[in-house]
Amino acid sequence: MTMPRDNHQDLDRLLDSGSGDLGDLYRRLPRMEPPRRLDRAVLGEAARAVRGRPPRRHRWMVGLGSAAGLVLAAGVAWHVGQDALRQQSPNSAQRGMIVVPVEPITETRRKRAPPSETKEAAPISPPQTTPTAAKPGLSRRAEARPVAKPAPTPPASAAAPPPTASPAVEPDPFPAESRMRDETATSAGAAAMQAEQDAAAKNEPAAAALKQPESKRVRTEAPPAPLSSVELRRDMQLAPDDWLAHIEQLLHQGRRQQAIESLRLFQHVYPNRPLPPNLHALDH
Amino acid sequence: MGADKTDEELMLAYAEGDLLAFEMLYSRHRGLLYRFLLRGLRHRADADELFQETWSRLIAARERYRPDAKFTTWLLQIAHNLIIDRFRRQRPQVSAEEADTVLRNLDAPESEQPDHALSEFEQRRRLQLALEDLPDEQRVAFLLRIEGGLGLDEIGAITGVGRETVKSRLRYALARIRARFAT
Repeated sequence: MTMPRDNHQDLDRLLDSGSGDLGDLYRRLPRMEPPRRLDRAVLGEAARAVRGRPPRRHRWMVGLGSAAGLVLAAGVAWHVGQDALRQQSPNSAQRGMIVVPVEPITETRRKRAPPSETKEAAPISPPQTTPTAAKPGLSRRAEARPVAKPAPTPPASAAAPPPTASPAVEPDPFPAESRMRDETATSAGAAAMQAEQDAAAKNEPAAAALKQPESKRVRTEAPPAPLSSVELRRDMQLAPDDWLAHIEQLLHQGRRQQAIESLRLFQHVYPNRPLPPNLHALDH
Repeated sequence: MGADKTDEELMLAYAEGDLLAFEMLYSRHRGLLYRFLLRGLRHRADADELFQETWSRLIAARERYRPDAKFTTWLLQIAHNLIIDRFRRQRPQVSAEEADTVLRNLDAPESEQPDHALSEFEQRRRLQLALEDLPDEQRVAFLLRIEGGLGLDEIGAITGVGRETVKSRLRYALARIRARFAT
């Protein structure tokens, strides 16, 4: 094939409608076409554009991420709610079930009662004679009414009632029930009741304690930490030595208030049991 | 359906949301655009990439389309811009001195030029090689003319140069192609 060498003539041929001999030759070159995957990509993009949709690549990830976020948030909220309930429930639940918060037995309350009642406290009243025995929630407390034996003078930080309007104890809307609760909370079990019956005769120290000015005791006693009798009941099920060891353990754990309460109960149950030296300080 | 419509009408219809109009338009020009890119870029992977990118840009700009020029001119202009960007990243341009050397060699007496009667296959092969060896600007101008069928003014509008510059580039391209056939 001979090609013309006149550049101007050549250009004119190229600019003709058929682009000259070079145009003819060019059109005989392979007619390359785009692969099908490109056709699909372009047509897909054109369709998405007119439908106003974003590219499909990450849409499933957005949906999955949203769902996962919702599940996570719901789980966290549920756990938080459960924790809050758990933190709120111990007092109310235990109150509603079997026990009441334990407060230290102080002579203050006894002193608050009329003298005749105080005298009656020395002999153990049988449970069936308790006027409130008909109340199911209170019957067990009434069974444990004991405490003629005075508690040892509580340490200042241990058994003080909260400093409210009442001189010795927190105001109680149900005084009768409260009185029984006070007296029985430390001896919720039968063993405790029996032990306290034995100790009831030895209530002289209580009289001495009762002679103390009430206002003075109020001033020196710190408010007790809210403590459930559940733990004390659990302590009572321990053997004496184990119980003392448990009290020491509480002390080591920094749970001083609970140790004091438990020790006081221990002394009610086992009044003649000698205390380890390291618990003597707790006792006073 | 839509076969009797011009490219510009189809493009306007697609801008209004008519997907069938785009499919018609695409089927008309997919081969032209692909060959222009393939022969302009030399590498199939580059051609594939810029083919899709060209249509993507066209789709994105569909609502701004005005039928002031031929649809083919607009399409090839998008593709040309992408090619030029790619050229700038890939390699330097051939200098004008190098092109002049080619033209001087072509001006040699005809008696000194070998004149071969080449086979059809050989002719096509040499044309392909010649296109590949052309400087980018000349090759693009040549392809816009011979593949796109564009005139000097349209090529000038697409490439951003004047009519005489387009003629010059086409002349240089022709000279180089002839030289390939002469060897």
